Parts: sequence; C-alpha cells; structure tokens
Amino acid sequence: MTRFNPSGTISASYDTGSQDMFKDKREVQHCLGEQQYIATDEIATVLFLAEQLNKPILAEGPAGVGKTELAKAWAGASNRELIRLQCYEGLDETKALYEWEYAKQMLYTQLLRDKLSQLLSEAETLSAAADRLASEEDVFFSERFLLPRPLLRALTSDKPVVLLIDEIDRSDTEFEAFLLEILSDFQVSVPELGTIKARHQPLVLLTSNNTRELSEALKRRCLYLFVDYPSMEQELNIVRLKVPELNLKLAQQAVQIVQRLRSMDLKKSPSVSETLDWAKALVALNADHMDETTLNSTLTVLLKHETDVQRARGGLDNRAGRGGSQVVERYDAYGPDPRRRKR
Amino acid sequence: MDSRIVHFITALRASGVRISLAESQDAFYAIDRLGLEDREVFRVSLKTTLVKEAKDGPTFDRLFPLFFGSGQPPLTNGTGGLSADEQQMLEDALRQLLRELRAELLRRLAEGRSLTPEELQQLGQQAGLQNAGQAYQQPWLTRRMLQQLGLQDLQEAIGELMELLAALGMSDAARQQLRDAMQGNAEALEEQVDNYVGQQIAENMAQEYEKREPLDDLMHRSFETLTEHERDELRHQVARLAAQLRSRAALRQKRGKEGTLDPKATLRANLQYGSVPIKMKFRHKQLKPKLVLIADVSTSMRPVAEFMVRLMYELSDQISRARSFAFINHIHDLTHDFEQGRASEVVQDVLERIPPGSYNTDLGASLVEFAHDHFDSVDRRTTVIFLGDGRNNYNDPRLDLVDQIKRRARRVLWFNPEHPQQWRHGDSDMLQYAPLCHAVHRVSNLAELAEAVDRLFD
Repeated sequence: MTRFNPSGTISASYDTGSQDMFKDKREVQHCLGEQQYIATDEIATVLFLAEQLNKPILAEGPAGVGKTELAKAWAGASNRELIRLQCYEGLDETKALYEWEYAKQMLYTQLLRDKLSQLLSEAETLSAAADRLASEEDVFFSERFLLPRPLLRALTSDKPVVLLIDEIDRSDTEFEAFLLEILSDFQVSVPELGTIKARHQPLVLLTSNNTRELSEALKRRCLYLFVDYPSMEQELNIVRLKVPELNLKLAQQAVQIVQRLRSMDLKKSPSVSETLDWAKALVALNADHMDETTLNSTLTVLLKHETDVQRARGGLDNRAGRGGSQVVERYDAYGPDPRRRKR
Repeated sequence: MDSRIVHFITALRASGVRISLAESQDAFYAIDRLGLEDREVFRVSLKTTLVKEAKDGPTFDRLFPLFFGSGQPPLTNGTGGLSADEQQMLEDALRQLLRELRAELLRRLAEGRSLTPEELQQLGQQAGLQNAGQAYQQPWLTRRMLQQLGLQDLQEAIGELMELLAALGMSDAARQQLRDAMQGNAEALEEQVDNYVGQQIAENMAQEYEKREPLDDLMHRSFETLTEHERDELRHQVARLAAQLRSRAALRQKRGKEGTLDPKATLRANLQYGSVPIKMKFRHKQLKPKLVLIADVSTSMRPVAEFMVRLMYELSDQISRARSFAFINHIHDLTHDFEQGRASEVVQDVLERIPPGSYNTDLGASLVEFAHDHFDSVDRRTTVIFLGDGRNNYNDPRLDLVDQIKRRARRVLWFNPEHPQQWRHGDSDMLQYAPLCHAVHRVSNLAELAEAVDRLFD
C-alpha cells in the first residue's frame, strides 16, 4: 500500500542530463586543479569515466592520501553539493537512510488532540471513529516527520549531488549488503511511503582504508581506484599549492624527508595530510632552513608513534644536515595553468 | 581489437585476477565511451573496470604492455649519418668478421632492423617457449633467446668491429656515433624479445586456463580423486566460497536480528518521551554460533580436514567463538594457532606438526583426553562438530563420552565423507555414533562441505 502523498520534494521523476558533464579528462583535471586538488591522469580518467558510465567509484589506499579530499574537490569541480556518510561499526539504516521523528510526531499528536477529539466526536460508532482516524493517518506518516539521513538526502536532493560514503570498510557486512541495493538502482523503499527514486543520479565515491575485505558484489558494481602516496614531484606540488608561504627550498627538503620516511619500516608512515601539517608547522616556526633542531622539534607532527620517532631520528641523522644539497631536479613550478603540472 | 581485449582478460584471469562477466562488460562500455585514441586513457579504463584489488595492480601493469605494446622507441638506423665511404668501410669490416652469426647480429644492430614475427617465432621455438606456462620463466627464456641471437658477448663484438673500422680508417666521431646507435638498438632488441616472451607466456597461460576443468565440476569431485594441482586450485576458491557464505550468514543475521522485547532498554530509551513506550528495544538474538571442531587428521581424512579448517578460519568473523581440535590417537588443541597468522600457513603448520603415521586412529582415546582437558569448551550454546569417518580400528568408540557431550552442547553434528552404505562395513562405528548426533552431513566434496558449513549459520 502506497499512501505516499506527492506534496513535497520526494518524487519519482528522474533526470540525469540536466547537469553539464565534463567533456574529457583534461577538463576534469583542470576543474579539480581549480579546487586545489592535484589529480593524476589516472584519477581524472576514472572520475570522468564514473560520470560517463554512471558508476560509483571505490577508492582504496593508505589513510591520509586525500581520498576524502578528492570527493570534496569532485563536488566543487562538478558544482554539486557534497553529502557525506561516515561509516562506523554498527551503522544501520536509521542512521544512514531515514528515521521517523518520534518526538515531533508525539508533539503534534499532543497539540492536535483537541482537533482530533472534535473530529472523532462526530463519529457515531467506534469503528466509524477508527475509520476516520485512519483516513487522517497520512498526516502522521508523511514526509513532514521523516528525518532524512545522508543516503535519503542524496536521493531526494533537488540538485545533483556527490555522495561520499567514507570508510566503508568500517561498517558491518550487513550494511554493505544493504548499500548494494541503493547503489545498483538508486532507489529505496520506505514501507510507510512507498518507493523513493533518485531525482538525479548522484555521483558516488566510496572510500576504504582496506582494513577488511569488501564483498565482491560491491566491488563489481564500482570502478576501482587505488590512490597511493604521491611521487616526490607531485607531493612537492601539493605542498606548494596548499602552503604557498613555505619557501621552495625548505619545501623540497621537507618533501624529501617525508618520502624517505615512507621508505622506512615504520608503524605508521606519514600521510600527505601530515606533510601539509608539517609544512604549516615549519611556516609557523619561521624556519628558513632545515637543521637538526628544527627537525627534531617538529618530527612529532609527522610521526605519531614514539618508536617511529626514535627510528626516524636514527635513520635521518646523517642526512638531515646536508639535505639541502640534494634538491629535486625535475621540479617544475606550479604555473597558472594546472595542466602544466603533469609531465 | 575486441578479441585482443578478450584475450587480455583471459590472460588476467589466468594470472589469478578474478574478473566477472559484468566487469568485462563494463570494460567494453568504458572503451566505447572513451575511445582508443589516448593510450593512457585506454589503460586506465581497462584497469579501473577490471582490477578491483590493489594486489592485482602489478599483474595488470605487467600484462598490459605485453598485449597492447609498451610504447617502446623503435630501433634506429645507425648508418644514416654515415657517408658513402664510411658505409663501404662498415660493409667491408662486417665481411671481414669471421663468425657468421656475429656479423649478422652486428649488421642488424647497425641498420636498426627489428626482429620479424617469423624470426621471433623461430627463436622462441628453439628456446622452448611453447612449453612455458609460468610468469617466472620469462627472464630465463629471454636470456636464452638473446643468447641464440649472440647478444651475450655483444661488447666484445662491437669492440672487434670498431677495431676493424679504425684500421680501415673511419673517423672517431663516425665510429662513436655508430657505436651509440648499436648500443641503443641492442637494448631495444632486448626489450622486443622480452616483450615477445612475456606475451607468449601470457597467451600460453590463457590457453591453458581455458582448457582447465570448470571449477564447479571440481567442487563436486570427491576429495580423494583430486590431484594436488586441483586441490591447489580449490584452495584459492575457499576464500571466495567463504565470502559467499559470509554474506548469506550476514543477511540472515540482519533479518533475524530482533528477538524478544527488552523492557529495561525500552524504558531507558523512552524516558525522553515521558516514558510513553514509542521506541521499542529488542534483545539481539545471539545468532553467531559457538563452535567446537574435533577433526580427524589421519591420512584418509586429511584433505577434508584441511578444507574444513580453512573454511572455519575464513569464517571466523561470523563465529562468536571457535575452538578446534585435531586428533589421530591423541587430541591436539589448535585454537591457539588460529588466533595468529593466515589460514594457509597455519593449516600447513598444523598438519606438518601432526604427521600422518602408521598409528591407529582412535577417537575413543582422543575423546577421553578431550573430556579430561577441554570439556569446559563445551557449553549449552556450543555446536560440536565431529569431522571424521568414524573408523576407530576396532578401538572402544566411547559412546558414553559422545553422549555426555551431546547432553552438554546445543547441537552435535557429524561431518562424514563416506557414503552411508559404507558405514556398516569394516571398522566403522558410524552407525553407533549417528544416533547420538543431531545431524550427520555427508561431506565428500567441497560443495557438500560448504553446504554443511552453511547450515551451521541457520
């Protein structure tokens, strides 16, 4: 039984062509660049493909390489709103899809009590009263009392959106199975209201830190993108873009040290976001060159385990002093045209 | 082009990348949309649609250039910059070289002629390329083919040629130019051969892969008749099978989650509505089973036991608590082994530690030890699984102990690979054990075993 009244935003109309799509991957790359996101050819191509094929993207890779950032930049680049669903263990439909707003329903019932008794007083028999009440039932099970959670918001949004499902690997297998239905049809059913179809097909990005194996069914439905740590050149570009106050030479040294740290056997390798934090710390400390004291005092920004810090000090000791002599040779300063960034 | 892509997909599958039909279809859609003009876009389109696991990335990167060219620079003609005189000198020098093969190679390098497909094929046949079916054979075969070309003492050969040319009066500059060109060409030639070898191996693997017995058939073949190779193939499938079972179990759990009303939690949750019970709270049904596996690991039972243990390990997240024991004539507690390490290694380790010997299978004696040392592992929520053929070598079957376990446990199941008709013959005590179990499943092949395991999660 579908007692859904077509009053508001939930509708069954479907249009995908309204939004301007990217013409090619260069344009994707360019627009992402305007969002301050430096995308490799691979990332740009996959995003472009996802839009063309209407498929979700599953982005995997170590923590802190900018997977979430990618979704934000994607939303910015395609002029869409970003709706984010953060996954965690125990996440269920009421948190992800929708929930009835009990308290509000209650409050309305209380406030409308007089009106209700007036309405029911006209009824002769008990069953007539029940019928009358039933005919007004829609008032209490309407969209008014439906609390949309991220997934429903993404489906019913007036404008096309980018839906970010963050850290899907943290959710339970059951939730993953539930998500499959949404990702394949872009529609959900709310028992009291009927089936709700997406107005605009959202662009979907799922991220995973690979803490557990995702189901094959989910992978099959997605395009797969492995985001790895950036190369030295790319990372330098990122630092230059995000922390322009840091002078070039120091930025080069910093990136070099980070790249060296990643090649060490550490409990947790420094991520790109940590490189940026470090760069900001160096700016805040007014450091103009990398010496042992600066390095030692700021290393904890990069490394979050005491054993890692110890090990890194041992490994970097003989290098930090003369790090300046080995500059990145192939550095190509980030010009006004973001396309130039790629070799 | 399409058939090339299909070939490529088969080669990927043969190298252990799992690609479903839907995924290969996606690859074709993607290429339809994006076209073939840009090689990099083409590569990424294939990769993102076909490869869904980070560990398979390198396999893709290795095979892609073999099937769609590596974009390597072609060989260059080193004689272009030489004057007519100098070309004549080169010709004379090459003629003076005594060894035919070497002269031929040097001429090829100087002129920058790449190997024709026929030549490659011939070289490959001589090196035994047609029998190669493993990726690791590539460097070795490449080296062999290059040796046949005479590339192994190239430096010496070039040196010899240069001496001859110097004697004939060629200028230093021209000699250096020729030398550089030949070096470059030699590298390009090596790459050409290496690519050819890689591609042939990949194609051999793909062909072999297409000829192999469908997995479904293997799943239904009895454990005893499997060869070691086939068993290996099935081992790879266990993780996949487990994933299937897991999602089924998870769905079942989702459906059956809500049990009886939990008054305490309901009261607490509804305090905010003035204790009007609006939100009902239910007790979660404890659906994840507690398992105790007692597995016979004597020679005849080994394959079944191995697969059972593997499955159980893969499914450990669907089991609230699992203890596993192995026996031949003594009981061994394996639980500790499984709390650390990956399934495949652990299974091997355990089986090596309890070598199949000439000792007699004796469940009775093992049960006595079990009852003495590990009886606390069985409680009213435990499902006890016996995995064995029930053949006790005429030892005391100790039915009383099985009965005791039954009274304590929630369920007692028996997985037996033998056909019920065999139970009445020889030293089988199965007919005596069977009435003491809640259910007996026959598990002679992987399909049956999977089904039996699936029932555990009902």
